[in-house]
Amino acid sequence: MTDKVLTDAADSRTTPGVGIDASGENGQANGVLTDEQLAAGLASGKYTPDNVKVFRDTAHIRERPGMYIGDTSFKGLHQLVYELVYNSVDEALAGHCKNIHVKVDAADGSISVSDDGRGIPVDEHPLEKRPTLEVVMTTVGAGAKFDKDTYKVSAGLHGIGAKAVTALSEWVEAEVRRNGRVYVQEYERGKPITPVKERGTSTRTGTRIKFRPDPDVFHDASFDFTTLDSRLRELAFLNKGLRITLTDARVGKEETFKYDGGISEYVQYINKDETGLHPVIYLDKTLEHVRPDGKREYVRVEVAIQYNTTEVERVFCYANNAYNSMGGTHLSGLRRALTSTLKDYGTQAGGFNKVEPIGDDFREGLTAVVSVQLPEPQLEAQTKVRLNNPEVEGLVATAVREFLAEYLEKNPKEAKKIIQKVALAAEAREAASKAKKALRDRKSILSGGGLPGKLMDCTTGDPDESELFLVEGQSAGGSAESGRDRHFQAILPLRGKVLNVEKARPEKFLGNEEICNLISAVGVDIGEDGDLEKLRYGKIVILTDADVDGQHIRTLLLTFFYRQMSKLVEQGHIFVARPPLFKVTQRKTVRYIHNAEDMQRELLQRGLEGTNLTVLPRAADGSRAEGQERTFEGEALDALLKAMKPLEEALQILERRGLNLSVFLSRRSEKGLPTFRVVFHGQEEWFHTADEVDEFRRSKQEQLGRDLVVADEDSGEEGKGNGHANGNGHGVTFSVQELHEVKRINHGLEELRQRGLSEADLLPPPRLAGREPAPRFVLTHGDQRRILPHLRDLMTEVRRLGEKGLTITRFKGLGEMDAEELWETTLDPEKRTLLRVQLDDALKADDMFRTLMGEKVEPRRDFIQEHALDAKDIDLHGA
Amino acid sequence: MIKVRCPICEREMEGERSDWPQFPFCGPRCKTIDLGRWLGGKTYGVPSTRGDQEPGDESDERELP
Repeated sequence: MTDKVLTDAADSRTTPGVGIDASGENGQANGVLTDEQLAAGLASGKYTPDNVKVFRDTAHIRERPGMYIGDTSFKGLHQLVYELVYNSVDEALAGHCKNIHVKVDAADGSISVSDDGRGIPVDEHPLEKRPTLEVVMTTVGAGAKFDKDTYKVSAGLHGIGAKAVTALSEWVEAEVRRNGRVYVQEYERGKPITPVKERGTSTRTGTRIKFRPDPDVFHDASFDFTTLDSRLRELAFLNKGLRITLTDARVGKEETFKYDGGISEYVQYINKDETGLHPVIYLDKTLEHVRPDGKREYVRVEVAIQYNTTEVERVFCYANNAYNSMGGTHLSGLRRALTSTLKDYGTQAGGFNKVEPIGDDFREGLTAVVSVQLPEPQLEAQTKVRLNNPEVEGLVATAVREFLAEYLEKNPKEAKKIIQKVALAAEAREAASKAKKALRDRKSILSGGGLPGKLMDCTTGDPDESELFLVEGQSAGGSAESGRDRHFQAILPLRGKVLNVEKARPEKFLGNEEICNLISAVGVDIGEDGDLEKLRYGKIVILTDADVDGQHIRTLLLTFFYRQMSKLVEQGHIFVARPPLFKVTQRKTVRYIHNAEDMQRELLQRGLEGTNLTVLPRAADGSRAEGQERTFEGEALDALLKAMKPLEEALQILERRGLNLSVFLSRRSEKGLPTFRVVFHGQEEWFHTADEVDEFRRSKQEQLGRDLVVADEDSGEEGKGNGHANGNGHGVTFSVQELHEVKRINHGLEELRQRGLSEADLLPPPRLAGREPAPRFVLTHGDQRRILPHLRDLMTEVRRLGEKGLTITRFKGLGEMDAEELWETTLDPEKRTLLRVQLDDALKADDMFRTLMGEKVEPRRDFIQEHALDAKDIDLHGA
Repeated sequence: MIKVRCPICEREMEGERSDWPQFPFCGPRCKTIDLGRWLGGKTYGVPSTRGDQEPGDESDERELP
């Protein structure tokens, strides 16, 4: 950002002999008005010789250039150009100029600034008795800017502009197009060397000042393209619609800046490498302000805002085009309004339920430009670092608050993103202090020589052989303590808290204390991931129940290690223990089985041994029929069971949908069972293929002469579209539901048919009046005989046979195992199975964790449905 | 080569493991937020079937519903 330099206002105020009315200049002015000057009564509204006030000679500028342009090095040199550009910008602000062209000459390093404004007046100045152009170019303090009627708002407030350029240049050539003519005057080191000469006619108006900085003043008088480029671009952003062209003939470069979106485009430009959370919010409003003396004035407030995904705040403040590096009242007004408006909205919308955002949180990722135009800016210091007008804070705050509140109401999606961003910032801040505290607590625990009170440590201090078991559940911790080898096995019991987060959705959490204990026991510093020197145990073993809840807690712990101590995972220190789910006692031998599938397999295998299934002929009405009976045994029976398993699962899905199995199976045709259920005007229709559904829909449409409204699968109950009006006010007349499991059922039925069985064998037989139906299936094992009402009972019955002679105990939790059992099955390095957790496993756990937490609502539902299935499977009869 | 999403801000993280010193987070800030959630207790939970306990009840019932 280029700095402009504030000319010392006091300087002109204290200079005697000033305050003479003078004629108009293209916008140079200096300092602050005295009462006399104000009283001088400048002709209003017109840009004529009467409006320029002449203060004094340019000699002083050459004596003390730093006072006017800051310095005589790089900055001051470019300041000369800006002073001229500001004058043109003022013409633009007054509505008379649309184009500004800055051009660096190729040959002599001179530069010109031209505009298409009204042109500096050239007629004789009434008091100076010299041409106004000459007065403007050579007399300090002469400028239309003192006259607020000519320029209500001015860009360069410092008013030395053209005079400084004239005074500090080897030569200056001023060319004015006005009144249909072209006028030229030349100057050298502050003094005119020619009169104002007429040089032909022109159809347009404007001013062009060309100058070469005096090498006696500037050691290096060469202009820098990039520097000019960035400040001119900035000015173009700040003055929307104004075209500024920069040409550097030395290198053949040209840039044109014109932004119809003004600072809104500026914000986009600043954020060009970032991801914006929403389109730029832009307001441009002129507000009335009544001064203490009763005078009305107008302040234009322009604000553009966009939050991005970073944490950086980038706010740029301008008063009358001057950059205020330290902000000021416009900045505080913007911040005040942002904080209060977003806080109100976010609180109301429930976005801040878990956090308490403070001012800083509203500014993370904020990119904003605030630009105010006001008649009398009070700027601090020569460099204009801060705007001090007290009234501006309230004006900006009001404008932003009103606009933003309405924007948030009208754009809830964008509003939500902003609120989430603020909440995240607040969370980060709160989390940082929590983490700091936890670390401090941990250090104090360790320095006190203590470890968590719950930790049952081992006696060896050698991490190469030691193991830490993280055991969820207190009773389990008890048996683990007595079952372990205390030489090298340590136990840390963890207790999850169950809370009903929402009704009927209990969740389990590990509290702050549990997490702190965990971190302390492991010994690795949080935040200093990678430093495993302090690791107290070579193996960290997660030991949870073998059921679904235990699996969830395991997922939770794995996620914690993956996220906060990923090095432990990467270097293979994390393990999962596999406690058994079943204890099987047969005569005197005891075995343990780790999962339900293995248990089922074993029971089926045992149940099949010496078992046969006899299928008797039976008529459709349930009466005995003539025919041959058939028997399945050995491999044939096993194959039948294997065919039944997927079929049974699919049938259960169907039943969970609320479909009556016998009604559904009756829909079978030569194409099998139908897959699509269509509800049209409350009438149910079934189809086998999507094409058939399409055809049906088309024929109905033709019949009705209009398109059918198809129900959204997500709206309301699946597949039950029933003609009720939906949210759009259209009647839902048509809904389609695809039953994916039907494919498997059709396949299963085919398998049955190959064995001479049919879908009727899956249903209870019809009852004849007063008579038992004839038996169809008889399962025989030794001298045991059992009649099955239908095939679906086959699996359960075979398993029941498999249980003969076994005592099966299902461990509902680790706590149900005694110390010896736990040692035998899970702790003893000779017999146990430990699974080493790989990074990939942990990544999957993290994925699963996100799903479980319900961050993704849909997958969570799927997951629970899948598990509903598993749970059914696991619930073995008698096991 | 890794390709994961930051668990907090969901930013895609690609490249070598060493490019991401705060792995599996994109930066220290997201890691801190995550740690804050662990320490905050009530943010990171998993479904439990043992739902018949009073809120805040710390007892560790082993019975299934």
